[in-house]
Amino acid sequence: MELKGEYRIAASKAKVWAALNDAETLEGCIPGCEELDKSSDTEMSAKVALKIGPVKARFKGNVTLENLDPPNAYSIVGEGQGGVAGFAKGGADVQLSEDGDETILSYQANAQVGGKIAQLGSRLIQSTAAKLADKFFANFRDALEPQEGDVKD
Amino acid sequence: MTEISMTVNGKAVKADVPDNTLLVEYIREHLRLTGTHVGCDTSQCGACVVHVDGKAMKSCTMLAASADGADVTTIEGIADGGLHPMQTAFKENHGLQCGFCTPGMIMTATDMVKRYQADGKELTEDAIRHELEGNICRCTGYHNIVKAITDGASKMTNA
Amino acid sequence: MTEGIGARVLRKEDKRFLMGKGRYTDDIVEPNQAYAAFVRSPHAHAEVKGIDASAAEAMDGVVAVLNGEQLTGDGIGNIICGWGVTQKDGSGMNMGAWSALATSKVRYVGDAVAVVIADSIEQARNAAEAVEVDYKILPAVAQSMKALTNDAPEIHDNAPGNVVFDWEIGDLAPTDAALAGAAYITEMDITNNRLAPNPMEPRSAVATYNDAEEHYTLYTTSQNPHVARLVLSAFYQVAPEHKLRVIAPDVGGGFGSKIYIYPEEITCLWASMKTNRSVKWTSDRTEAFLTDAHGRDHVSTAKIGFDKDHKIVGLKVNTKANIGAYMSLFSSAVPTYLYATLLSGQYNIANIYCDVQAVYTNTVPVDAYRGAGRPEACFLVERIMETAAREMGVSPVELRRKNFVTSFPHQTPVIMAYDSGDFATNQDQALKAADYDGFEARRTEAASRGKLRGIGFSNYIEACGIAPSAAVGSLGAGVGLWESAEVRVNPVGTIEVLTGSHSHGQGHETTFTQIVAERFGLPTENIQIVHGDTDKVQFGMGTYGSRSGAVGMSAIFKALDKVEAKVKKIAAHVLEASEDDIVIEGGEVKVAGTDKLMGWHEVGLAAYTGHNLPEGMEPGLKETSFYDPTNFTFPAGCYICEVEVDPETGVTDIVQFVASDDFGTIINPMIVEGQVHGGIAQGIGQAMLENVVYDDDAQQLSASYMDYAMPRADDLPNYSVHHASTECPGNPLGMKGCGEAGAIGSPPAVINAITDAIGNNDLSMPATSAKVWAAIQAASAKQAAE
Repeated sequence: MELKGEYRIAASKAKVWAALNDAETLEGCIPGCEELDKSSDTEMSAKVALKIGPVKARFKGNVTLENLDPPNAYSIVGEGQGGVAGFAKGGADVQLSEDGDETILSYQANAQVGGKIAQLGSRLIQSTAAKLADKFFANFRDALEPQEGDVKD
Repeated sequence: MTEISMTVNGKAVKADVPDNTLLVEYIREHLRLTGTHVGCDTSQCGACVVHVDGKAMKSCTMLAASADGADVTTIEGIADGGLHPMQTAFKENHGLQCGFCTPGMIMTATDMVKRYQADGKELTEDAIRHELEGNICRCTGYHNIVKAITDGASKMTNA
Repeated sequence: MTEGIGARVLRKEDKRFLMGKGRYTDDIVEPNQAYAAFVRSPHAHAEVKGIDASAAEAMDGVVAVLNGEQLTGDGIGNIICGWGVTQKDGSGMNMGAWSALATSKVRYVGDAVAVVIADSIEQARNAAEAVEVDYKILPAVAQSMKALTNDAPEIHDNAPGNVVFDWEIGDLAPTDAALAGAAYITEMDITNNRLAPNPMEPRSAVATYNDAEEHYTLYTTSQNPHVARLVLSAFYQVAPEHKLRVIAPDVGGGFGSKIYIYPEEITCLWASMKTNRSVKWTSDRTEAFLTDAHGRDHVSTAKIGFDKDHKIVGLKVNTKANIGAYMSLFSSAVPTYLYATLLSGQYNIANIYCDVQAVYTNTVPVDAYRGAGRPEACFLVERIMETAAREMGVSPVELRRKNFVTSFPHQTPVIMAYDSGDFATNQDQALKAADYDGFEARRTEAASRGKLRGIGFSNYIEACGIAPSAAVGSLGAGVGLWESAEVRVNPVGTIEVLTGSHSHGQGHETTFTQIVAERFGLPTENIQIVHGDTDKVQFGMGTYGSRSGAVGMSAIFKALDKVEAKVKKIAAHVLEASEDDIVIEGGEVKVAGTDKLMGWHEVGLAAYTGHNLPEGMEPGLKETSFYDPTNFTFPAGCYICEVEVDPETGVTDIVQFVASDDFGTIINPMIVEGQVHGGIAQGIGQAMLENVVYDDDAQQLSASYMDYAMPRADDLPNYSVHHASTECPGNPLGMKGCGEAGAIGSPPAVINAITDAIGNNDLSMPATSAKVWAAIQAASAKQAAE
């Protein structure tokens, strides 16, 4: 399953790049993220609670950053185990480009699921993944452009 | 744990059950009324249909605690000795083979007939097939179930 | 005789099912019962690097967490395939090992790696979630064609290229020569979609080990409890046969999927011994999709040739059969001897060649599902016949008729010798019932409403009454396929019939009773059928392959012969008459032409008191028979499907479905019609709705009723069911069998009808509205381009 999107962020490319590499920012933006610990510059471990269709699970997994091209692009790759709920893995190629004072973030993501999530929720995965990606990048934009009444969920 | 009390097949029952106990688990495992069956985990097959306060309900979709105070009828309680007219109609029209979906079919059918009669609507073959959307049978191909419900409806009217 | 052969006797078994008093395996509760929950792989292919059960073991109520190393360590044997197929080159099958609990590797999503035994099902399931399995994920493959490519992962070390076997039947060179000389050739790619059997009762097992007697009891959802005991004992070494009782009580449908002895039954028996508790496991529906053997999944290419008079000269077929991750019990026989031997259809074909590559994939094992090989053969033959008729511009009805086998016995080039049949009469009857003559007018009328109307035919033949033991033995079967019966006349004259057949919806308690009632003129309420318990019934091979009538009832028939003979001897002795003058009528045993008689019960009593028996006769009145059939039986028929398609949406309505079947002797027409209805429903399900879907990583995406489209009441029509019988010469009752016909004959009729309606022959099963709509669009785009 493939997803892509583009966001305009009212912040400089350098600032966006820094945030993309900041565990705390990422933790705040990943929907359902309960924990994100950085073990090196490019490796993190995460705990994320997700609900896909009838399956609700807490995923434990690793996130790594690859193909680093600061401050222009990287790939973020992750996999998580959700116990009997199954597993999810996926990645996104993220590119930044300058547009005046603002930065355009574009991404192409792919995701795979297995186990119970695939068996029971497959028809919902495309829409759920699109929603989660949208939420993440919206949260991310909002984190860089603080607004009143922000909610993270 | 939750304390629940309800009437099942005319008998008052009371129990302490874990909060997440489904009505069908309570009926099968606690009351040992095993005529109500479980054929799926997604509220699709209808093998578990019982009547709760006179309405057909998939008992796998309801917590036992939600039925607190309710009047529940299962397949074992549908007839006063002998067979209910709908049960007779299923037998006479060969509306069952392996028997696993049958209790749910009977409970859905009697509810269906009562609703249509109360509304003064005609229970046509199309209506029966539409109403059976939530009950899956793998043996009969439904042909004889539809015939049985048509026959059962007239038997219930004349009973 | 209102309750004898041919009577529409209402079913004896119905009352308990209608009252909710059926007794299915999950209804059984043993004292001291614990529950099993399996830890299953979420990965389609992975190495098992380690299992950490410590957290699970510490949880409330957990009795034990057991794994595959312990299971194999206790000497529990690998799961077997009961039919050895010989490859083209003379070698045996490349069969990979299958342990009930995986040890080093998992090969499909759902493969069990451990089991948790706990006091409650809730505790067992929670603990199963807490078992940590360290997997090293491997690439996986779900489709047979992909599994045969060079870069496909190898699933079993001893099956290079994932080929389980490469098998052939018929003669290649003459077939090629016949096709080379043909005036007309039709070629097709034909896929038979993967199905999940879905009996409404999920599989279940309750195993109890008695340590004082070193004895095991297993309640299980089985179509063949004696076969289960034999295999559990002889091959899996769970317990010796005399220390193992297998009971299959009321079973809620099987359709083939409850023939096999699965990892769960083996594990529950073993776990009961390990924990000294009764162990119950009941599948949930998603678990059923992941573990019940699937059916079909063939990818074939076929080529048929005709001479200038439209007579068939040859048929050549190649089939890739997806076997799944392991070889299930009859998995090798289904795409070979149950499939390619039926490729002659109802037709006179001098030359047939078929080769089959059976392929391992990372999917649920594939085995017999209602029809088992024969639906795949029928679909192929009847699709290519219809297509050839269209390509040659001749009537599909006439093309079939011209090629019918008309004299019997008829030896096909693919083993089978058809013993009887009248294909033209069944076709005539079906055409008449379907008002074929009025079809064009109906098509025109439908067109005036903007609907596309089409008609499709299917002339099926199947081999049932499985099967002559020596014949199947010579083809590789590991068992004989006879059946046994015991008829016990009690001292009061009531009768118990113990049969090795098993009823899981087929109504044996009624039909079997009818042949006893017919024989002795006794009321059916005096007769009881006993089945499904290895402690009660002597032995049996069970129910599958439409064999309970032709084989199971023949065994009863033979045992009744023996009872009748003894009754006559006793009566002749007591009444001081000649044995030849004794007749049994209306429950009385009489001396013909006199008023001397004994009541049936008096003969029973005489047999058991033994006060006045012929010299040397043993007391008692109980006879046994083991009946081995002399040939397969060949039910056949003609199915006609008429559809209306909405070209705007692709939504297809079956407006008429007609069946005309030759089942030989029919004992109870009501029950036979019910079998046909159910079979057709499953066939329509395959043709229009059902499909097991795997993604590219071999994850199963259709593992619940939210995604697997089970046929529901408003998807299906009423069926117009007819019979035109010829007697089967191979068994004493003249029966052919009716259990699978509907599922075999209907799919090609449906697809032939839809493709006729939409004018595009390129349509695969299941023909969902979306697919039909796309085919209509493709046809009109092609038309526009031309």
